[in-house]
Amino acid sequence: MAKSDYDGPILEIDKLSISFFTRLREIPAVMDFSVTVQPGEAVGLVGESGCGKSTVALGVMQDLGKNGRIVGGTIKFKGRDLSEMSQEELRDIRGSEIAMIYQEPMASLNPAMKIGKQLMEVPMIHQGMGEKEAYDRALQVVTDVKLPDPKRILDAYPHQLSGGQQQRIVIAMALMSEPSLLILDEPTTALDVTVEAAVVELVKDLGKKYGTSMLFISHNLGLVLETCDRICVMYSGEAVERGSIQDVFNKMQHPYTQALFRSIPLPGADKNSRPLIAIPGNFPLPHERPQGCNFGPRCDYFEAGRCDHGDITMSPVAGDDRHHTRCLRFEEIDWDAPPAIGDAKERSEPGQVVLKMDNLKKYYEVAASALFGGGEKKVVKANETLSFEARESETLAIVGESGCGKSTFAKVLMGLETATDGTITLDNNSIEDIPIEARDTKTIADVQMVFQNPFDTLNPSMTVGRQIIRALEIFKVGKNERERHQRMLELLDLVKLPRAFADRMPRQLSGGQKQRVGIARAFAGDARIVVADEPVSALDVSVQAAVTDLLMEIQREQKTTLLFISHDLSIVRYLSDRVMVMYLGHVVELGSTDQVFAPPYHPYTEALLSAVPIADTSVEKKHIVLEGDIPSAMNPPPGCPFQTRCRWKSEVADGLCEKEVPPVRQVADGHQIKCHLSSEALDRMEAVIKLAAE
Amino acid sequence: MEPLTWTGPLGAYLDTITLALAAAFFVAVLAMIALNAAGATGRVVTNPDGTLSTSGSPYDLLASAVKWIGVALIGLVLAYFVVGVFGGPDAGGIVGALSQRMTPVWIALLLTFAISIGFKRKLGLYGKLFDSTVGMIGFALVMFWVFTGVFGALDMIITHDPLSQVSGMKNKVPGTPLSGAEEGDYQWYLLGGDNLARDVFSRVVKGAWVVVQIAPLATLFAFMVGITLGLPAGFYAGKLDTVLSFIANLILAFPVILLFYLLVTPEIVATGLPNYMAAVLFIFPLIFVGVLLNARYYTQPSIRTPLLLVVLGFLGWIYLSLISASGTKINILPASLDLFDIPGGILVVFVSVVFVNAPTVFRIVRGLALDIKTRDYVAAAQTRGEGPWYIMLWEILPNARGPLIVDFCLRIGYTTILLGTLGFFGLGLPPESPDWGTTINDGRRLLSIYPHAALVPALALLTLVLGLNLLADGLREESLKD
Repeated sequence: MAKSDYDGPILEIDKLSISFFTRLREIPAVMDFSVTVQPGEAVGLVGESGCGKSTVALGVMQDLGKNGRIVGGTIKFKGRDLSEMSQEELRDIRGSEIAMIYQEPMASLNPAMKIGKQLMEVPMIHQGMGEKEAYDRALQVVTDVKLPDPKRILDAYPHQLSGGQQQRIVIAMALMSEPSLLILDEPTTALDVTVEAAVVELVKDLGKKYGTSMLFISHNLGLVLETCDRICVMYSGEAVERGSIQDVFNKMQHPYTQALFRSIPLPGADKNSRPLIAIPGNFPLPHERPQGCNFGPRCDYFEAGRCDHGDITMSPVAGDDRHHTRCLRFEEIDWDAPPAIGDAKERSEPGQVVLKMDNLKKYYEVAASALFGGGEKKVVKANETLSFEARESETLAIVGESGCGKSTFAKVLMGLETATDGTITLDNNSIEDIPIEARDTKTIADVQMVFQNPFDTLNPSMTVGRQIIRALEIFKVGKNERERHQRMLELLDLVKLPRAFADRMPRQLSGGQKQRVGIARAFAGDARIVVADEPVSALDVSVQAAVTDLLMEIQREQKTTLLFISHDLSIVRYLSDRVMVMYLGHVVELGSTDQVFAPPYHPYTEALLSAVPIADTSVEKKHIVLEGDIPSAMNPPPGCPFQTRCRWKSEVADGLCEKEVPPVRQVADGHQIKCHLSSEALDRMEAVIKLAAE
Repeated sequence: MEPLTWTGPLGAYLDTITLALAAAFFVAVLAMIALNAAGATGRVVTNPDGTLSTSGSPYDLLASAVKWIGVALIGLVLAYFVVGVFGGPDAGGIVGALSQRMTPVWIALLLTFAISIGFKRKLGLYGKLFDSTVGMIGFALVMFWVFTGVFGALDMIITHDPLSQVSGMKNKVPGTPLSGAEEGDYQWYLLGGDNLARDVFSRVVKGAWVVVQIAPLATLFAFMVGITLGLPAGFYAGKLDTVLSFIANLILAFPVILLFYLLVTPEIVATGLPNYMAAVLFIFPLIFVGVLLNARYYTQPSIRTPLLLVVLGFLGWIYLSLISASGTKINILPASLDLFDIPGGILVVFVSVVFVNAPTVFRIVRGLALDIKTRDYVAAAQTRGEGPWYIMLWEILPNARGPLIVDFCLRIGYTTILLGTLGFFGLGLPPESPDWGTTINDGRRLLSIYPHAALVPALALLTLVLGLNLLADGLREESLKD
């Protein structure tokens, strides 16, 4: 199809309604949704899972599957109604005029085809380009997405590339035919933070370079702030607020948007004095939506008889540019009123040391050929000289990206693996050599774990109560079945779940509720050390706050030591007392939260801080993008593990970084950094995050 | 006595209509396929109120025609059976007579379906089966043969003794009146007589009992063996897995029929090999149940010990009765305690079916265990210090049940065919046994002249296996929706 000149809006969605039809009922997924994307504009679509944002994207692609159907409204692409096009016309448009980038890069690439061939297909099919030209174009685009050695990449298969590289290839493929509209559906969710930052940077630059309009779907407000010009907030199938980034972030006019911002940890939030405010209640199921305002039952400004009566339409906010909100009371609400803060909680003082790790090492031997066991054995150094202490009722955050060894560390602590070298001391007993089968019940009950994936943490074929009772049986709590049942009910109270949940199956629970059961199970034997492995990263923003608060509250009551493993620095800053940053098995920085979040930094911490998107327009961030990917632990670089990506490397003389692993240096009381940089160089570091107002 | 026609006096009215409708149905379906291939399908329109409808294109008219003719056809077929139940052979001919003999089966089927559909929301996966048409048809076919087998064994259905021969009835076509019939005898050979002048109908019904007894039980044993070995292979992986998988592959690579021939050879039987194999294979259910209960209750010895004693004692007794039989190599149990003896032929069939099916089940279970052991709830069980067998049997196995149930249904089908094959080769079961495989083999010699003797058991085998496959399909479809 010839690309016509057209200067109106690229995409106009007007009062779109999409429903899915099942045998039982019609399920409305999107209702009365309107958005306009102007040429060169990036529009963010934000909402929690199940709010219909991906359905909108599929609706634009006219790819709703067998039981999905557009039941109202129109989608116009460059002025033409997409629903009136034939299959042939749509095929012409998809991939050439509208391109889509999905969440999982490996799933979007054909594993049996070389990258070059996959890229060349696009212009060869859509523009009938010759093979030679298509190859040149592919080479050009791969260079544009800043991949090293483009010729080699074109000749590689998808599995030979890392996740970040794969996502760049997917972006390259989307750009091959210079589309007018790019739909990105959570393009960076599967990637590490530093890689995410680089990909986001790339998308932004390319958008400018090619003048492509973008529809950016994400659940991460910070990411949308960094990439988009306009934003549309969705809740339960409806757009609730839409406007420019500045308007929505600073002068929000919908209670849901406000609640969302109050439930995410922004700089300045503090677990004791300014705790997060979770949105009460649960996301309504599509067929159980309330009358009137969908957000009504969870809204602080709810007015019975008005908000639950009839349909509510979008109304423009006076004085702002194309700023609309779906709220009846937005003109009456005082949006600047500070949130009602509950009692400031007493800051709990850390007690004595309960857990001490000293020079812990964990190496794995990997046989080069698994089949015959012969060949050279490779050693993976998953943990290298790990030393730290954790005190009673202290939260120690362990931060790092995938492959940094944080999960191995957890396994060794739990006893699922034994340490190669070094000691773990729990209450003066060494436990590093004792596998879990040999540990006594007390030790096992003392060290428990909360897992990352809420959909995986509970056995799907056992009732919730049964699973907690089983933990009680194993930990020898209670003398008989009745006592254990009673204790199980108390544990459900502890995690604020109704007692009736004891008889439910896990599939009847939402993600946040499952995570609560997981917490209750971990505390069944009065655990004193709880390893929380990214306990909230798979949850929706509004639920995250509630689960985090719950953990904090139990910790305060039970004086638990919490080892909080995470890659999300915002939440770490919010809840932890001390932070340990890990990279490729090494602890690169360890100190109190204030020390780690202020200069001097380890160069990796600096990059990590800069990479985390923050949903606050008043924050100024220094822009540091790391080159390349995390090296494989199988094949670590010589010398300092971070030297391959470090931007400060040139400051150290004699290439010392490439020769020697840096020593651990105390830069302040309780603050250690593993770096060759001189003290002067460290002192010169500037803060990465600055609050403009303060 | 007049010979019966297939549909009797009722057929005089209905046969022409039924045939005409069937022809119309056939033509309409062909036309639909042609239109579909030509791409003339109607466009689906969404109404403002959210409902869907199709516009009145020829394709849609045809589609509704097919639907209504189909309904009418099913109604007519039902009429033959219903008239038969009440009128018997005098009103409905052979079909009517068969239908009347099957009355207990119809009643049992109706009750099962009425109760199941009534409570389907409370019955878990079994209840969900009644949401799927395919699953319901499969379940109905399977239950039809199960009930036939059960009521057949209770002598409620059969018309004659399946083993006795009646002179003058050799190779008689269906509906032939019994020669020399006395008062109180059933007056016809409904589905004819075989080459030894025995009643085909009664033999098929009796044969159903043999199949319904052996196939599920043998499959269950194969599953016990496969699960008990497959779980540790998948869970521990490494050397154990390599060894067990190698043995499984070895068994799978061995020609099945040759194995059967070997097992029934008198010299081999005399060495006691089948008995020793039975002793090994049948111990697995004991291990399975013992470990299952111990893993669950070992924290509460006061419950565990009596429970294990009772359950294992009972199972052990059955096990010993099962393997020990007088006159064989293994004769441990005194005759006064021996509950039952398994005839040597059936034991061989059992052993060989379990032996060849267990490796396949082993591989399925191993694969599922490899996948499920990476889940967080398994890690959670490990971090609270659960033993490996608890994790395997209570955390992994229940969550692998979906694929296993489906495979169980399919595998009963394979076993049924395998039983037929064994019977066909004259292996295992005694030559006069009414089981379907043996009967087909008997009937095949005169297949071109008198097909009914082989055709009837073949159709029975076909419908049962078809039912099991449809049931597995339905279960798979419904379990995926969870």
